[in-house]
Amino acid sequence: MLNQRDQQVSIDIKQVSNPLHISLSRTDRPPLWRLQHQLIKLLPTTMNDQQAPSATTDGMSTDPTIQRKHAAMIERLSNLHQSRVSNKTDPKDPSFESTKSFLLLFTNSKQAIESSLTQVQQISDTDPTQDLKPELEKMSLSITELEKLVAENSYFLPPYEVRSSLKTISDLKQTLDSVTSKVKPRKKFSFKNRPAKKPEPANTITIEAIENEREQQSSYKVKDSPGFRSKENEILTKEFKGSEIGEFVLSDLTNCEVRLRGCFRTLFINRLKNCKIYTGPVLGSILIEEVEGCLFVVASHQIRIHDAKESDFYLRCRSRPIIERSSGVRFAPYRLCYDGIESDLRESNLDDDTGSWANVDDFQWLRAVQSPNWSILPESQRIDTVNI
Amino acid sequence: MGLLSIIRKIKRKEKEMRILMVGLDNSGKTTIVLKINGEDTSVISPTLGFNIKTMTYDKYTLNIWDVGGQKTIRSYWRNYFEQTDGLVWVVDSSDLRRLDDCKFELDNLLKEERLSGASLLVFANKQDIQGALSPEEIAKVLNLDAMDKSRHWRIVGCSAYTGEGLLEGFDWLVQDIASRIYVLD
Repeated sequence: MLNQRDQQVSIDIKQVSNPLHISLSRTDRPPLWRLQHQLIKLLPTTMNDQQAPSATTDGMSTDPTIQRKHAAMIERLSNLHQSRVSNKTDPKDPSFESTKSFLLLFTNSKQAIESSLTQVQQISDTDPTQDLKPELEKMSLSITELEKLVAENSYFLPPYEVRSSLKTISDLKQTLDSVTSKVKPRKKFSFKNRPAKKPEPANTITIEAIENEREQQSSYKVKDSPGFRSKENEILTKEFKGSEIGEFVLSDLTNCEVRLRGCFRTLFINRLKNCKIYTGPVLGSILIEEVEGCLFVVASHQIRIHDAKESDFYLRCRSRPIIERSSGVRFAPYRLCYDGIESDLRESNLDDDTGSWANVDDFQWLRAVQSPNWSILPESQRIDTVNI
Repeated sequence: MGLLSIIRKIKRKEKEMRILMVGLDNSGKTTIVLKINGEDTSVISPTLGFNIKTMTYDKYTLNIWDVGGQKTIRSYWRNYFEQTDGLVWVVDSSDLRRLDDCKFELDNLLKEERLSGASLLVFANKQDIQGALSPEEIAKVLNLDAMDKSRHWRIVGCSAYTGEGLLEGFDWLVQDIASRIYVLD
């Protein structure tokens, strides 16, 4: 990308410098520096409006054709300048180079435009049927003329005069606009809302239909995924074999103990109270929401804990566990045992404890100091390895 | 020359696209980005903040902004809306309980004026998980058909775990943005 840009630039330079290259390569021309030197010399002389024939021979090469060409050029330049100067001092236009005369001219035109504006306004008030279009066009033209006058003379006018006259012009334009819109308001271009072509009843029907459709779609019920739901005081056990189960859900459980053996893909936990959850390795992620007074012994690649209160988590995790809107949560390493857990852990790539369980990110505590919402469970208070 | 044509010209030269990845937490945004970039996806922590990945895709340079989806940081999504060419909304197709949340957040996002010109790619992720909803079902739940007719959108089923469907989705997104912004060369 950068290279392309560089190329483009270099091509541009070549194109610009091409004539110079040619002139340099031709031996019968004077060297480039000399030409430049002469041009620099010429500039001030023409500007000061002085004939400078002496400069032409100064330091010139002896080539007679060059000399001739050069003399012709000087003459052309001085003629041009002469004609400019004489144009400027043209007596038939008194406005030139005099602020006073410019102001006089400007004020006159301005007054003329203003008076015709009020005239048009009066006419339109008394006789609205009269066609004022040519009048308005004429005024717009004379405002343009006035603008041109300012532009032409701006080079010698004091900045204040330029600004004030430009202001006057823009005021005039505004007045003209308002008059125009009053006189022939419909001529002005504007975006308009087209009136709806559909008859009213059809519209209401479609809206109703859409609403009905929406209701139907919002009530679109998806099938439930496998899991344990709405139980109290139970021991719930499940064994997964192979990849038979993808996701598993635990929701609305109170005073339950849940034992999930084997590998599975993902676990969703929601609204648990005073439960004990023991699970084998989860290949994907575990999402835990709204739990209170629970004990978790879980292993997963990713663990997210939301809205948890006073719960203990014994984790093995490949990445950093996170908590959000939680308090009083404590963390310790995974301690679980069942037949074949080693191979399950290996299969899920969770066989080593990377120590990530202790690197908890609290999304509501973005400071360097330890978050008050979670802590590491002291060794003495940890449970023994659980056998399920 | 209008501002739009100037912007188009600049973009045409740079062939850059800005893509914003958003979606609920746990939907797999970071995994998708890393997978498509050919990086290791086995250790990914939930995104605290955002990641930017710049990658070359076809002849375009994609700047992918992968913004964390946790609830606490969703309010910061709007800081990334400016100049977004493509919006990728990632859905965890196996998380049935939070589909309502997902719909709510997506609807909010699509109301955003700064995103009104962006092409929308919906990734129905985690298709490899048994029991996940199909892209068609996700489209129904999210009511994508009721979207503003001027929006360019498409839903693609994918699995960031296996990589399936990711290229199909990005191919569509890049082509769609290119056809809007860049003159065919």
